[in-house]
Amino acid sequence: MRSLLKLSSAIDTFTDKIGWFINWLVLLTVGVGFYNVIARYIGRFIGVTLASNVFIELQWYLFSLTFLLGFAYILKHGENVRVDFLYAHFTEKQRSLIDFLGTIFFLIPFCLIGIWVTFNPVLQSWGYLPNGTWGTWEMSPDADGLPRAPIKSMIPLCLLLLLIQSISQAIKYLAVLLGYQTVAERIRIETSENINIE
Amino acid sequence: MGFEWLAILMFLGFFIILMSGYPVAFSFAGTAIVFGLIGLIVGAFDLHRLLLLPNIWFGTMSNFTLLAIPYFVFLGAVLEKSGLAEELLETLGFILGRLRGGLALAVVIVGTLLAATTGVVAATVIVMGMLSLPVMLRYGYDKKLAAGVIIASGTLAQLIPPSLVLVILSDQIGVSVGDLFLGALIPGLMLSGSYMLYILGLAVFKPEMVPALPEDLEIPKGKDLTKQIFKAVVPPIILIFIVLGSIFFGLATPTEAGAVGAVGACLLAFFNKRLTPQLLRDAAHSTAIITALVVMILFCSSLFGLVFDALGGKTLITSLLTRLPGGYLGFVIFSNIAIFLLGVFLEFIEICFIAMPLFVPAAQAIGIDMVWFGVVMAINLQTAFISPPVGFSLFYLQSVAPKEISTLEIHKSAIPFMVLQFIVLVIVMLFPQTVRWLIDLSTTTGVS
Amino acid sequence: AQNQSTGQQTNTNALPNIEWQMATSWPPSLETIFGGAQVLADRVAALTGGKFKITPRSAGEIAPALEVLSVVSQGAVQCGHTASYYYIGKSPVLAFGTTVPFGLTAQQQNAWLYEGGGLKKLQEIYANKFNVIEFPCGNTGTQMGGWFRKEVSFLNDLKGLKMRIPGLGGQVMSKLGVTVQSLPGGEIFQALQTGAIDAAEWVGPYDDEKLGLNKVAKYYYYPGWWEPGATLELQVNLNEWKKLPPQYQEAITTAAFESNTTMLARYDSRNNEALQRLLTSGTQVRPYSQEILAAAEQASFALYDEFAAKDADFKAVYDEWKQFRTRIYAWHKLNEGSFTNFVYSQLK
Ligand code: NA
Ligand code: NA
Repeated sequence: MRSLLKLSSAIDTFTDKIGWFINWLVLLTVGVGFYNVIARYIGRFIGVTLASNVFIELQWYLFSLTFLLGFAYILKHGENVRVDFLYAHFTEKQRSLIDFLGTIFFLIPFCLIGIWVTFNPVLQSWGYLPNGTWGTWEMSPDADGLPRAPIKSMIPLCLLLLLIQSISQAIKYLAVLLGYQTVAERIRIETSENINIE
Repeated sequence: MGFEWLAILMFLGFFIILMSGYPVAFSFAGTAIVFGLIGLIVGAFDLHRLLLLPNIWFGTMSNFTLLAIPYFVFLGAVLEKSGLAEELLETLGFILGRLRGGLALAVVIVGTLLAATTGVVAATVIVMGMLSLPVMLRYGYDKKLAAGVIIASGTLAQLIPPSLVLVILSDQIGVSVGDLFLGALIPGLMLSGSYMLYILGLAVFKPEMVPALPEDLEIPKGKDLTKQIFKAVVPPIILIFIVLGSIFFGLATPTEAGAVGAVGACLLAFFNKRLTPQLLRDAAHSTAIITALVVMILFCSSLFGLVFDALGGKTLITSLLTRLPGGYLGFVIFSNIAIFLLGVFLEFIEICFIAMPLFVPAAQAIGIDMVWFGVVMAINLQTAFISPPVGFSLFYLQSVAPKEISTLEIHKSAIPFMVLQFIVLVIVMLFPQTVRWLIDLSTTTGVS
Repeated sequence: AQNQSTGQQTNTNALPNIEWQMATSWPPSLETIFGGAQVLADRVAALTGGKFKITPRSAGEIAPALEVLSVVSQGAVQCGHTASYYYIGKSPVLAFGTTVPFGLTAQQQNAWLYEGGGLKKLQEIYANKFNVIEFPCGNTGTQMGGWFRKEVSFLNDLKGLKMRIPGLGGQVMSKLGVTVQSLPGGEIFQALQTGAIDAAEWVGPYDDEKLGLNKVAKYYYYPGWWEPGATLELQVNLNEWKKLPPQYQEAITTAAFESNTTMLARYDSRNNEALQRLLTSGTQVRPYSQEILAAAEQASFALYDEFAAKDADFKAVYDEWKQFRTRIYAWHKLNEGSFTNFVYSQLK
């Protein structure tokens, strides 16, 4: 159990690092969105085409990255919404049991299914052909668009991060079930409302 | 074939998992996995269908309209974390002074204005929750009333144009988006009016639920109050009108207007000397978290919808719905009841896809005005959005609600507003002019 | 006759019951184009005594509108009804399956696909790249050239104009200085209404009227030079195709032919009626100027040359297509063209 908990701590630290990174993505998304609005108008007056589908598509690329990378982070910090009419009245062990079973039977299989079904489409997007050879990357169909393969690859990659974090969660829930009080305390701090970043 | 009942059992399974307190998103996924597996064993589920999933997810990622979520949440987070939102509502409270329910009325007005800037319900409910729930609670408003007002007025985003729901409905029933937008405007305002009447009614009959500012609180008067209004109220109102104006004057599409609003909120904080790196980081952090949790629900519920469809759930509902009672009145009443019942469990997009193709030919055959029919359905879906325990607006508010208000209180809070919406629904059904009036006006005045 | 019918009965009895799902790129409100999928499904059912059932699903119902090829290719659903030019990002040559700017009219496109070797070539590419077999299954006829808030008489009027126009047409417009914006269907109406964009293109009078574009833009340009005769496609996953009894394959092939013809007939008969309604409601129709058309044609072929230089599949199809185009243009110009020139000029 001790070494499992060490593993879990390592995973948690890693996930928090990503949580720091996504803040920047949000600011970038807002910046690019604002640029798209002003570029169309300023470009008109100075006679240069500043607006482009590159930035229109970049907007939703950044948006997608934000939430995909956020999946693991919100899991660690217990941000997912619950209908806790009953849950709120359960004991710590009862809650951990629900979360442990859910993680093992629902969440981990969900991640595995997600990774499995996205694997081929992502390969295809990088140009993998049914006969085993490689063709060209998938591009946006619209004028001046971006390549699609990199953003599509982020789906299985981020589900992998979510999978790793759910393993860490399972370890922690198990520890609570086995009576490790310190771990229960750790979960309480992680999921309390005032998340201290950094 | 012959296993469609499995799809109906999915609702029961989902309900049980949901009530255990396991996160909503993963309860969707878990139910889908369990029933997919059962379907696989009895031969009712084709594993290949799972391969739809990455494409549906990619559709969500590239759905430009959803960008409204990070933009508006960021806007809200900046106003909240800089303290500007609090000052705004507080000063509004001062203006309305000893008027009971004043703060709640202000919330409805702000919610209606926000609804006119975006069509994404998640965005408006969350922003309204961030901005006004803590303030209303602090001034001693009844928790359930406070939550209900926010949920109801935040959900108006789907009825007051622009609206994602109306766009999908127009696709399904084959009337122009423009007509639906115009037709939904007055009923949308009627809803917002009904919330206000309800609050005024409470102020008279249940004053303890919507208290006036406390007696001992010092309220600035005269010049001081004017000064504070110009400092705290005018700038945020201007911000909302900049967002509205950038849509109205063609500077931005509704989605991009969100980005304008987000930058505008930063400028507002800057002029109040509150734009610190810490503020930006906190606002970005909340935005990232909320965006992730909203999309996590969407990602998981698409797996649920996929399995439900593959098990023949839609076929089963179709066969139930086609036993329509005849006649104008019978059809109208039946279709409303059906949409409401579906709305308790299904997402609005699913409802549009399942029910509309069945209702449209019947409605056309009876000679029902399709724009009116579309608006009536949209009001009904409005109720679906807030009906417990699977109303998505409830989940969105939960994501930003402070700990002192419980999930049960949030879910119960929607019930009086469901009643209000039912009353407005009946009025719109009895008086189709509420929908037609603006449309007829626009056709007689011709093309702009 | 009696013998024949008993023979047929034993024959159909031996055939399996098959149910397929069909993902489409269309909302049901676009009844001409979604109808193309329905015509195919109905005919296949009729030809197989109801044993082979195909259920068309509207855009977004089981798969997003622009992901139909992906879901068919991966075998998530057995077949789909869509336009191949939505997928030029995956392989630019797919544009030829639908239509390209300054390409072929519906009649010429059918000649190229069925008799000019076009379909065979495209089917090869589809099989190799996507494990899919495709059949022409509908045509919109020549589309319209989009809605504009202001008149665009000269090439210079296009510069800096913001227009919603997807695909190759958009790439050509981009070369002419237009700021091309890809917008979701739901935002087109409002963006054009408020002037966030200056122009938008959709399909033709019948469908555009449904979107209500005439209420938010005054000028309706013609012709839709980027879509002179757009073919829609039935796409079938090859594994599923190979599993079908030969009779069912025949049923699909025949039904696709029927749908290809029916859709064009519907569009041609309904578009004119819709256009008359638009004209009475105040829409102003305007032809693209010779200057714009000439520049656009030049830009289109420059674009094709760029693609051909980068993509071997594109080059192979393009070279043959170009020759076919020259030959059929010459023939239609001499004969049909002189006829239509005369009779249309007699129209008051
Ligand atoms: Na709205
Ligand atoms: Na078009």
